[in-house]
Amino acid sequence: MRIAWRGAELRLLLPILVLVPFGFAITNIALTGTLEVGPLHLAIGYAVMLLGAHLVLVAFGNRGDQLILPAVGAMGGIGLIMLNRLPQDLAGTSALGIELGMAGTQLLWFGVGVISMLVIAVGLRDDGILRHYKYTWAAVGILLLAATFIFGYEVNGARLWIDLGAVSVQPGEILKIVLVVFIAAYLAETRTLLTSARVRIGFLSVPPLPYFLPMLALFAVVMLIVVRLNDLGTALLFFGTFLTMLFVATGRRSYVLIGLILFVVGFFVAHRLFGHVQLRVDVWLDPFADPLGAGFQPVRALYALGRGGLFGEGLGQGLVTLGGNLTIPYVHTDFIFTAIAEELGLVGAFALLGFAAVFVFRGLRVAALARDDFSGLLAVGLTASLALQALIIIGGNTKLIPLTGITLPFVSYGGSSILASFIMVGLLLSISHRSIVGTDAEPDA
Amino acid sequence: MTGDILRILLLVLQLGFVALLYLVLMRFAGSLLKDLRNAEEVQIASRSGIGRLSVLESPADEPPAGTTIALGPINSIGRNVNNTIYVEDDFVSTNHAMLTFRGRSWFVEDQGSTNGTYVNGHRIDRPVALSFGDELTIGRVRMRLDR
Repeated sequence: MRIAWRGAELRLLLPILVLVPFGFAITNIALTGTLEVGPLHLAIGYAVMLLGAHLVLVAFGNRGDQLILPAVGAMGGIGLIMLNRLPQDLAGTSALGIELGMAGTQLLWFGVGVISMLVIAVGLRDDGILRHYKYTWAAVGILLLAATFIFGYEVNGARLWIDLGAVSVQPGEILKIVLVVFIAAYLAETRTLLTSARVRIGFLSVPPLPYFLPMLALFAVVMLIVVRLNDLGTALLFFGTFLTMLFVATGRRSYVLIGLILFVVGFFVAHRLFGHVQLRVDVWLDPFADPLGAGFQPVRALYALGRGGLFGEGLGQGLVTLGGNLTIPYVHTDFIFTAIAEELGLVGAFALLGFAAVFVFRGLRVAALARDDFSGLLAVGLTASLALQALIIIGGNTKLIPLTGITLPFVSYGGSSILASFIMVGLLLSISHRSIVGTDAEPDA
Repeated sequence: MTGDILRILLLVLQLGFVALLYLVLMRFAGSLLKDLRNAEEVQIASRSGIGRLSVLESPADEPPAGTTIALGPINSIGRNVNNTIYVEDDFVSTNHAMLTFRGRSWFVEDQGSTNGTYVNGHRIDRPVALSFGDELTIGRVRMRLDR
């Protein structure tokens, strides 16, 4: 077998390896006022991780997309620079007696994520286990949700976390992947039925319900529980991903229309029923009504965006803390985009969006070139879910849409989010590899 | 005085950082464009048809396992050499099945074969729509419909 060198990937990764220590250095000079450069061990760790991932992919002959890993690496690098700049005691763990700051812990999670990514990208030769056991995956998803419901504990009114002793995990992040796998497998199997059968009510052609029922039932259960857990961002994310996959599978606009109508209806019902939904909307419409209470976070975020302006305050020179307190609560998770826009300005934020756009573009390309319907739908679902997640949280940060607390993939601090995002990249690389290499029957040696 | 120098230094470094950020982004754009230009050629070279059959398993080695067969809109499959897709296998009938592309989908129909036609392991008794990735078993020959 001919070795695929993945030259494009290497050429794109190299400047990122310079970018990260460069950012650390600026931060440190600004913060300390001396010419000390930043934490070299983090920069070296990050470089070793990315290059290692590249070499493993080359060694195992993965011929998958070469722009995805560098795009992810760039986003992760910007995130790491920002997390290193923020106060290190916001989060973090100690491992083997060494106290890891927030950035160190994030790097540790990057390592775990990249290893999972490589195992999937290299190890998943055949998508049979994903495709044929779809109801098992659905059951796993429901169990995860049930576990969160029963054993979970609340942070900020949303019950998302399960305490496993050493670490706390967010099962919702893994549920996201399981759900996309199930929907892709289900739609790939029934796609022809869904598109060919037509039931008409008046001028609307309605989906043939019996074929839809298993999927709709699962989806309704998931949505109900997620809403009960007060995790509105995730609910929105699941719904958007589902609609995207349904549209791609069937090509019928009427499904999207029905979905959007359901969304609007559901939103009004939730607005009536739940106080916290009402509060979110009120704060979104006028955060300045209660600037020291409910509107505190969005108001401070808007100020930070304003301070950043076009070119930013400079790394390490923004107003992240004031008198020992964070100016924006949860700046390391939900509001990392605001922090980046404050210190790197609109230009820096645009660069970050550019990397995200490259990722989404390549993800959809993987889907378009996929060998079979299941792989294609899976790639669409994974890409759409990461894209929507970024869209929802960046929109929330900039007061474009009501704020819902989810992470910015690859950038925000958070183990579960990083791990889940890298698993998704692993799946994309595996799909991409199989679409290029061709059949499973092809002799390997 | 040192404060001023530091401030100027930081400004220069910051501009350098943003410049590097955009340099990386430009490189990405370059790679994207290069790929888009190549993509057209690849498309023409390998995937001009409406679909192809990948032969996964073929004990009698006709068609040989591991090969792919480009498909036209109408394909007859059977042991008679006049079929579009000629399959040499003792368990395949003379005129075994028809594989046709109608509208936007592939369909397969059994032509009254002795041993039947299987889609993803299930025997079919009427024309069945196929998705890309579905497995078609005719006699002992296992094939997959690919894009």
